[in-house]
This record gives sequence, C-alpha cells and structure tokens, in this order.
Amino acid sequence: MNTNIETFKYDNRIVRAFAIVTVIWGIVGMLVGMLAAVQLFFPDANLNFQFITFGRIRPLHTNAVIFAFVGNGMFMGIYYSLQRLCKARMFSDFISWFHFWGWQAIIVAAAVTLPMGFTTSKEYAELEWPIKIAIAVVWVAFTVNLIGTILKRREKHMYVAIWFYLATALTVAVLHITNSMTMPAGWFKSYSMYAGVQDALVQWWYGHNAVAFFLTTPYLGLMYYFLPKAANRPIFSYRLSIIHFWALIFIYIWAGPHHLLYTALPDWAQSLGMVFSLMLIAPSWGGMLNGLLTLRGAWDKVRQDPVLKFMVVAVTAYGMATLEGPLLAIKTVNSLSHYTDWTIAHVHTGALGWNGFLTFSMLYYLYPRLYKTNLWSTKLANYHFWIGLLGMMFYIIPIYVAGITEGLMWKQFNKDGFLQYPNFLETIVQVVPMFRLRAIGGTLYLVGVFMMAYNLYRTARAGQFEPDTEAQAAPLEKTTALAHGKSSWHRALEGKPMLFTVLAFVAILIGGIVEVIPMYLIKENVPTISSVHPYTPLEVLGRDLYIREGCLGCHSQMIRPFRSETERYGEYSKAGEFVYDHPFLWGSERKGPDLAREGGKYPDAWHYNHMDDPRATSPGSIMPRYSWLLTQKLETDSLPSRLNALRRVGVPYPAGYENGPAQKDLQAQAEKVVANLKQGGVNADPDKEIVALIAFLQRLGTDIKSAPAAAPITTAAK
Amino acid sequence: MEQKILSGLDGVSIYGIISILIFFVFFTITLLWVFGLKKNHLNHMEKLPLDGGEKKSTDNTQS
Repeated sequence: MNTNIETFKYDNRIVRAFAIVTVIWGIVGMLVGMLAAVQLFFPDANLNFQFITFGRIRPLHTNAVIFAFVGNGMFMGIYYSLQRLCKARMFSDFISWFHFWGWQAIIVAAAVTLPMGFTTSKEYAELEWPIKIAIAVVWVAFTVNLIGTILKRREKHMYVAIWFYLATALTVAVLHITNSMTMPAGWFKSYSMYAGVQDALVQWWYGHNAVAFFLTTPYLGLMYYFLPKAANRPIFSYRLSIIHFWALIFIYIWAGPHHLLYTALPDWAQSLGMVFSLMLIAPSWGGMLNGLLTLRGAWDKVRQDPVLKFMVVAVTAYGMATLEGPLLAIKTVNSLSHYTDWTIAHVHTGALGWNGFLTFSMLYYLYPRLYKTNLWSTKLANYHFWIGLLGMMFYIIPIYVAGITEGLMWKQFNKDGFLQYPNFLETIVQVVPMFRLRAIGGTLYLVGVFMMAYNLYRTARAGQFEPDTEAQAAPLEKTTALAHGKSSWHRALEGKPMLFTVLAFVAILIGGIVEVIPMYLIKENVPTISSVHPYTPLEVLGRDLYIREGCLGCHSQMIRPFRSETERYGEYSKAGEFVYDHPFLWGSERKGPDLAREGGKYPDAWHYNHMDDPRATSPGSIMPRYSWLLTQKLETDSLPSRLNALRRVGVPYPAGYENGPAQKDLQAQAEKVVANLKQGGVNADPDKEIVALIAFLQRLGTDIKSAPAAAPITTAAK
Repeated sequence: MEQKILSGLDGVSIYGIISILIFFVFFTITLLWVFGLKKNHLNHMEKLPLDGGEKKSTDNTQS
C-alpha cells in the first residue's frame, strides 16, 4: 500500500459555470431556431426587421447551438471528467476562467455581429476575423489547460475519453486556422484567401470536420466517461474503444468532399470523400454498440433513471446519424438529397438526439452531484424525456418527408420530356405544411428544455453547492512502479501524452494533406475560361450585400450536371467560372431556386419589385421582404479597401484602380441599372443598396454565355 | 471536364492507391495493437472512470 497519498481538490465551480451557460445558450439557440423555422411558413415573422430575417439568423442559430450550447456542454463535461480521470485539479484555475469568460465573450460577439450581417458566409465559420482570432486564443488556452492537467495527473494511463478530448483540441485548432485564412478589408469584413473550388474544398473539409471534431469526438469522450459512470459498470469493450478512437479520427478527416458531390469539385476528390465516408460506418457503429452494450444487464436501470434514458436515445441517435451520413455520401443518394431538407433532418438527428440528449443526461447527472442532493423531480425529468423525444420525431420526420419530396419533384419529368414542375415555387409550396409540423416539433423540444431548466434550478436551490470536492491519490512516480506486468506499445503510449498527441496529430494530418495537395495542383489546372472576368466594383458591393443578407442560406449557386438541373437553370457550373469568387457562394440548401445563371433571366425592375415584396412577383413565395435594400444608402467608402484586399488574394484589378477609376465605373454602372429600372417603370436612386444587388444578380453566370465556344460545353445527361 | 483536369495531373491515380494503402496499414497496426493488450491492463483501464479518487464520494447521490 502506498503511504504517500496526496489530498487535493477538484474544481466544481468551473463545471457549474459551464453547466449554467449550457442551459441558457441552449434555450437562446433553440429560440432563434424557432424564429427561423416560423419564417419558413410565415415570412412576415421577421416583422420586416433586417436583423431578425432568416438569412441572418440562420447562421446565428447554427452557431449558437453548435458553439454555445454544445460547446459549453462539452467544456462542462470535460472539466468534470478530466479532473477525475487524471486525479488532479485543472492545471490552472486562471486559465479555466479565462477560457470560460473568453468563450462567453465570443458567443456574445457572435450574437451581435451575425444579425448585423457581419459574416464571412462560410458555414459554421461565419464569424469575422477579429472574432476568429479571439477563438484561436481561447482555444489555445483550453488546450494548454487540457494538456497541463494531463501532464500533472496522478493516474499513469490516459483513459480513452482523454484521447478523444486531445484529438478534439488539436484538430479543431488545425481546422479553424486553415479555414480562417482571410484578407481583412476593414474591421468586420474580409475575403477568403482561397477562391471558388479551392475555397469550397477547404470550407467543407472544415465544415465536415467541425461536425466530426466539435460535435462528435468530444461527445464520444464524454459518453465513454459518463455512460459507465451513470450505469456504474465498466465500458463493454475497452479494446473496441481503442479501435473506435483511432479508426474514427483517422477516417473522419478524409470525408469532407462528400458535401460537394456532383459540384465543380474534381471527381477524384468526390470519390475519395465518398469512399471514406462509407468506411466511417464501421468505427461509428463500433462506438455506438460499445455504448449500448455497456448497459447489458442494466436495462432495468434505464427504465427508472432519466440520465440513462437520455443516454440510450443519444447513443442510438448517434448510430442512426452515422449510418445515414455515409449513405447520404453515396453519389446517387446524394444526387437526390443534396440541397434538400433531407440534410437538415440528418443534422437534427445528430443535434437534437446525440448532442442534445447527451447534454441533458450530463446535466441531470451533474446537478445533484454538484449540489449534493437528489434531483428535485425525477418525474419531471421523465416528462422532459418523453416530450423531447416526441419533439424530435415531430421535427425530424416531416423534414425527411419534405426533403425527399423536394428532391423527387425537382427531378420529375413528364412523359413529353419536360420538367413536371418547371416553377421552383411549386416544389416549395408543396412542403410548407411540413415546415409547420417541424415548428411544432421544435416547440415541444424547447418546452422540454424549459422543464429541465426549472428542474435543475429547483435541484440547485434544494441542495448545497460543493465548490471543491476533496480527493486522494498517490502521485504518479509511485504508481508507475506498480505497473502491471510487461509493457506493450499502446500501454506505453497511454502513459506518454505528448507522444500520443503527436501520433493523433499525424493521423488527422494525413487525410488533410492528401486532400490539400490535389487542391493546390488543381489550382494550376482549372481551365481558365477567357470570358470570365473579375466582378466590377458595383458587383463586388452587390456580392457583399448578398453575403450580408445570407442569401446563400436558401439559394445555391452551383448547377449540377443533371438534365433536371440544366433544364431548370441552364448550363451546369464549371470550375473555371469561380476563379474570382472569394469566398465561393455555392450554398448547401435550396429553399429558393439556384441562382448560378440568374443573370439576364429577369429585367432589373423585376428584381426591384421582387426584393420589395417577393409575393407581388411570385405569389406563394416564402422569401422574406428585403425592402430596406430599397431605402438604405450603398456604403462605398470602403470600396478601395475591399478592392485592395481582393487584389491581394489574387483578383487582377489593375494597380491604382481603387483610387478613382473604380468609383467612376461604379457610378456609370449604377446609372445604367437606374435607367433599366426606369424602363420597367421603377424610379430609383443610383446610390441605394438595391442597385448594387441587382448589378450582381444580373452578372451571375453570364460570363460563359458571352464566350464563343470558349469552354467545352457538353451537358452530362442524368 | 473533371477528367480533363485530372488527366492533366501526372500520376493522379496514385493518390487513391496511397490513400487506401495508408488506411489498410493503419487499421492493421491498430488491430495488432489492440489484440496484444493484456487482460489485467484492460481491466484496469475499464475501471478508471468508476474510481474518481473522491475522498467522500458524492457518487452515491441518485439522480
């Protein structure tokens, strides 16, 4: 028996702080989601107020749920479990609180800037560059605290949960930095360093792995800690957890291109993404089964304990989402599902089921322990479970129906070979009832969260908070001598966190590098289309307005090479058309038609009236009104810095163009738009925002039309 | 068009082969690794989360 036992204290204050904000931001994020969901069947719910219009609050919803709700939930669970698994207090209390307040400040900054329209437009990476830098700093602080705690641990071996935490910290840092390479053009405006196809590849390499390494790996670590803890029995197979870890982190990083199937991304990268996505089923299901089988012989507990109930559904939802994900990555399935609500249903299986329910289970587990009491009402927690589950079903199932309906209607031809539903609006009107049902499901889910918040509040009031939990363990040097038997490499690795970290880093880098190398090769090989030119100054500002309003939340700019798409939208999109697109605006969802060839389809006056009131030109449309564009003055002071930034990332504007000639060109083009509007019976001032937006929309996809057979144009039939 | 881009890259098919090879080697090593682990070590690792080292355990609290 080791006599040199040390007594130390676990920090519960930081865990409680993260727990409280998890609940608060969860409610905020879901309320914003509700507001966005309602606008899909009742567009006037934005009250004609630009700051709460769908395009701007959709990214607010996704950011709030991912980084505020799940992010804080992750930190709550990590700060609790890491200390206990390492038998050590966190490395530095100061860093813990710096991390906490820094993260909350970032969330507040996001909540302010996104509704104001300060956005990069890249999904889950919308925040502008000063906030991105803050994220990097806070993330490094968290990583230092994590590794510092591991280094001062009193338990020789690192439990599998800690590996998942380490992989999360490292990979998120790599992803965030790579995808955040932007050129500032003012305090809250920047342009991606990458253009078009390259930008798309980097973005979805990031976007996919944000799901993998922010929403999945840390939560798997938490599952490996909290599930055995709540069931009071060891994990089913530790061997399986090792395979789960290494296979998952290795494969996940390759799968990003499945977000870009049938786009202008090279086929090679698409196939790579598809194959690795399919491989992901194996480790994902290994992990799910490992979790569920941990409960073997303890299913009676599941009937009584709400913590386990939530966990079982969470792990099952993980299994469902990780089976569906690879299936959606099969090109033929993806040709139907992409741009439809099917994707939205898929991500909500993960968000509501896996992340949401696992967070709830951790909160129900932690509160009684932090406050040294029993849960105030197990009955209320059970009600939460059932209403949450019902809400999830009511949310997901209608959206599946909507997604498949949209996909089928978009592709339907009549017997004469014409599109059955040539008007996009017909297809969206068809699924509006599903949007209503979805909002009901979301409401039920949110009601459950309110019930939980009340239950946790009453639990806290009934108990007494324990700021520090006293614990005892022998220091590491002594326990090392007690190592069991002969060593093997993995055991040695578990005892060497730095070496382990390096190997995990290498594992995630391999996939990244193999994707990135061809990206740079392609850069030299994308066939340049001679008629594709940089955007004019007015179009640049119009494009920035398109980004500010979040138009790409509903409109893609990427026509896939299917007959159903070329019939509807025109010639399919070519990689060479996007060489000046910083950032790319392909979008991921269609609640409205694709706009890649919008230029010249309608007169300028149509766009003017459509923006003023979409239902005046398109009865039944669910697009919000953008009447403020008609009255707000176009901000042109920043034009020089914008053009300068674009030139720095590679757009060939002539030297000195921004100092004078650009303004003249801008005015001339604005006058032209105004003249066109007048012809259509609309009187508008040339200095209004709408003029720039119309100029941009009328430019879209027109470059190759003016090319006399410059591009090899052959429509691939599908 | 994609084929045109790719045929412009010398030996691009090697990337696909390398990817699969890397994965195969990686997975095989992991399997060997895992099955080489000793039972008593695995038992120790499995029980890690159940022993938090708390002096006066609060884990008896029922939720």
